[in-house]
Amino acid sequence: MNDTSNIKHQTSNILHFLWRIVDVIVGGIFIYAGTIKVLDPVQFANDIDNYKILPWTIGVGLAFYLPWLEMFCGLALILRRLYLGGLSILTALVAVFLVATIAAKVRGLDITCGCFGHASQNWNFPTHLALDLAIFGVLLALSFRVVSGNRLQDAV
Amino acid sequence: MVKSSLVRQAFVLAALAFVPGVVQAIYFGNKVSWRSPVPASEMVTVTQARAWGENAIWVDARPDNEFARDHVPGALPLNEDRWSELLPQFLAAWSPEKKVVVYCSSEGCNASREVAHRLRKEAQLANVFVLEGGWEEWLKEK
Repeated sequence: MNDTSNIKHQTSNILHFLWRIVDVIVGGIFIYAGTIKVLDPVQFANDIDNYKILPWTIGVGLAFYLPWLEMFCGLALILRRLYLGGLSILTALVAVFLVATIAAKVRGLDITCGCFGHASQNWNFPTHLALDLAIFGVLLALSFRVVSGNRLQDAV
Repeated sequence: MVKSSLVRQAFVLAALAFVPGVVQAIYFGNKVSWRSPVPASEMVTVTQARAWGENAIWVDARPDNEFARDHVPGALPLNEDRWSELLPQFLAAWSPEKKVVVYCSSEGCNASREVAHRLRKEAQLANVFVLEGGWEEWLKEK
């Protein structure tokens, strides 16, 4: 009985450690993406404008604001402070971005992603989509883990 | 409980991000135009461009079929679809003292901005301007 309990405990620790690595990697990605865009907000404003969804003025405002939001949320994931808020915001941002990207493609717009500034300038659409879906999947997995963890605590 | 915590945390993060965003917007105030994607110094009205007379070289950034239908008299076609093909013809007509006026169909189109940007960056040209209001504005003033 003790052995079984120890094994479960160790497995739980390993899983917890692995999820923490995922937190750090995903948080790091968003901090990197935000930093690239903070360094060139004019280019990011142009990238937002290319989607032809928002007026230019609002696009410029978002170009100054969103990168900082990404960075703070990425930091929240890594430091595990305001974690839930950071995870929710990032999940919502990526979801909106995915919809906008697919909509732009359907409308025949030839756009650069803008998600990693100039680093992603030459990516083709399938590459963009694959990476965004992967990040979105990981964010959902992290969210699900939080929700199921809370349900377990409530049950106990 | 989770929901209220989530909302509170999200609000705090959103508010935190607002501060450096505003500071940066103020710092970059003179480097980006909030009204238009093209800085005011790179825009030109139809009246201004016409006043340049022979010193202006007009560039039509619209698709070929629109150019063929009608265009500013003397304008040269230069669009992104056939950039490599059309650029030599434009460069043959260009000279350093000339002012380049790029237009597309209207205020909302992107093509003139993109072509002007490429002329400045790739062809290293100075004195490249985007026509305010584009072809629609030209027709009105005509």
